[in-house]
Amino acid sequence: MAVLRQYLTYQGIPVWRHALIIQWAAQIASAILVVALVMWFFGNMAFAIDDREIPFGFSFLSREYQTPIGEHILPYESSDTFLYALVVAATNTVVVAVAGVILATLLGIFIGVCRLSPNWIVARLATVYIEFFRNVPLLVQLFFWFYIILALPTVREGYVIADLFYVNNAGISFPSPTASGAAPALVWLALAVVAVVAGVIVHHRLVRREEETGRQSYPFVVGCATTVGVAAVGWLVLSGIFGEAPFAVSTPAPQGRFGRIDGGVTIRAGMLVMLIGLVIYTASFIAEIVRAGIQSVGRGQTEAARALGLSPMNTLRQVTFPQALRVIIPPWISQCLNLTKNSSLGGVVGYTDLTNVAITMTQTAPAINIFLMLMAAYLAMSLTWSLIGNLYNRHIRFTG
Amino acid sequence: MKPLIKYMAGLAVILALVAMFACRSEEPPAPATGAATEPTTAAAPTDAMEATAAPAATDAVAGNNQGESRLDAVRARDKVICASRNDVPGYGFLDDNGNNVGFDIDLCRALAAAVLGDPNKIEIRLITAAERGPTIQSGEVDMLVRTVTWTTSRDAQWGNYAQTMFYDGQGFMVRKDLGISSALELHDASVCVTLGTTTELNLQDFSNQNDLHIEVLTFEDTPAVVAAYENEQCDAFTNDRSQLAALGTALQNRADHVILPETISEEPLGPVVPHGDDQWFDIVKTVMGILIYAEAYGVTSANVPTSATGDTKVDRLMGLEGSFGQEPLELDDTVAQNVINAVGNYGEIYSRNLGPEGINLPRENGRNALWANAPCQDCPKGGQIYAAPLR
Repeated sequence: MAVLRQYLTYQGIPVWRHALIIQWAAQIASAILVVALVMWFFGNMAFAIDDREIPFGFSFLSREYQTPIGEHILPYESSDTFLYALVVAATNTVVVAVAGVILATLLGIFIGVCRLSPNWIVARLATVYIEFFRNVPLLVQLFFWFYIILALPTVREGYVIADLFYVNNAGISFPSPTASGAAPALVWLALAVVAVVAGVIVHHRLVRREEETGRQSYPFVVGCATTVGVAAVGWLVLSGIFGEAPFAVSTPAPQGRFGRIDGGVTIRAGMLVMLIGLVIYTASFIAEIVRAGIQSVGRGQTEAARALGLSPMNTLRQVTFPQALRVIIPPWISQCLNLTKNSSLGGVVGYTDLTNVAITMTQTAPAINIFLMLMAAYLAMSLTWSLIGNLYNRHIRFTG
Repeated sequence: MKPLIKYMAGLAVILALVAMFACRSEEPPAPATGAATEPTTAAAPTDAMEATAAPAATDAVAGNNQGESRLDAVRARDKVICASRNDVPGYGFLDDNGNNVGFDIDLCRALAAAVLGDPNKIEIRLITAAERGPTIQSGEVDMLVRTVTWTTSRDAQWGNYAQTMFYDGQGFMVRKDLGISSALELHDASVCVTLGTTTELNLQDFSNQNDLHIEVLTFEDTPAVVAAYENEQCDAFTNDRSQLAALGTALQNRADHVILPETISEEPLGPVVPHGDDQWFDIVKTVMGILIYAEAYGVTSANVPTSATGDTKVDRLMGLEGSFGQEPLELDDTVAQNVINAVGNYGEIYSRNLGPEGINLPRENGRNALWANAPCQDCPKGGQIYAAPLR
């Protein structure tokens, strides 16, 4: 023992009691464990693939997909490749995820604030909403909305508003701008971006001025007006340059003997069900997160703001909510992730999302490879949400 | 920018994992191209793991390895596991007592009667259409009987198709009040279809060939397809004709709907077994053959002979004389007696589920009649139901 102690020392301390060495040993041991576990999983899969001669490889990606994709925002032909079909499907998922997160966040904040309202009825209604929708499984809710939408009139008997808007159980159609051919689509896309950026800059400037001088200057209204103004001026200028309007308006209209709506933009029933279902479900969780965030701000803050003469609305907007955000953002990120991942339930209600298309692909291509790509795609989407959330979280954190 | 670094690291891990698989699928000297841009750790484990992991994995893979045949595994667990369904009348559907009954279920029962002597020793795994491939590929079930169309790419990727037990073809169902008499009139129509089926693929081919611009609505479950069709979310729905007939029985007013005359595809349906166990593959083929030849020879569940009848063919089938290969398949000599006693012959199974006592699909003079019932040698009246001779 004495000999052991003599040799197994580091900086005069026996190695088994040396904090540094113990820490390193623990790190190395856990690293080995993780690597071994991963290797065992992949090894097992590799073995099974060989053993059962399961086809494996990514060469299918450049083959023609030759299968329909029901709903597609990007242009799609059945002669496109598997890879492009995956991109088309992923775009569908991203659209539902982004639109869903924006709407769920707005609705969630509204419900969460209502829940804290001094008005008894409003507060109770918000409570009922939250408890109902977060305690019923999402799948059940999706089926519920699916059957609600199915109960709408059919496409041949649906509601038509001013020959521009069509509402029926196949979806909602409304007019949309399309590139007229006079100007490339990119030109007016650029115009839209410029207009939005201009609005944001004006909004930012006015907020800062309001904070510095205390003069009320309605940043949101002025910002929106700027966006509209820049877009209008840009449109006139572009019309002048190209000799005609840079984009045309495409209006939906029934077509063919079945009266299916063509033209404009159609949000098909499947996407509608997914959006309604995901937004209402996720908003109930976000509402609770918002409530928790607001309640985490010290009562003194509210009292001080009221003592300074701020209205209840301004107290919330200027004092309580900005501080609550620090508590709200991290759990809000998980809700974004949940919503994105839950969009993979689209198949049950007829929405052609990424998972839906991937499952179809397993008919004619190796399943394991497709599901690997599917996992990678969802992981990438989730990481992107985390990045956005974390960057924002850094932006609003306490400094100094 | 810590979050950004974390994000990039996460993406790198994803890419590394995909690259790891990508290079597995390349030729042996793999790590060169695909993984070169990735951290070397991505490529390194692939070689190592193939060497080390194989012994470790042997236990984890169920049943069909070198050591144990699937037949041994089935007998050890005393149960045949089949992947099937319970949502289409005739094939697999819950009856009034909550029992799963149907054509597909009976084929599974026949197999259990053959290898375990008891048709009730089965376990039915309910799966969706889209789950069929992965389920049979993984080898976790002994047989897949869920209205699976035999196609060459499925045969190559999924498992082995034992025997065509039903010849089907894809058709369309529409409302009568649309006034359509042909599928070629479905121009710009919206058509509902089940996700992950050959139906989905055939629909695209049909639409392309005839320039129909059909709009497609896919649902994971067939009941949702029917609901969407019934509420006119789509103008037509497409499936195998026999399933259209079966599902039609569940529509509220069957008389308002019509199945269009066109059959746009060949859909031979039958049981599938996992790749990699020839004996098991042969057993399933033999059991299917027993069902078919029992009908051809006039043996029904009511008249299974237990002693020699003098008719050589019948006696050989019943295990009373000679052999049709029971021994190498490790089946009892009297395996056919067990099977026919348990589920009856092919004709009985058909009429119980798909025929007059089931969803009433006509069989007489159709493709699904026995070839052996043709009135004369090589004359065209017989059907296509035919199996390898039992001898």
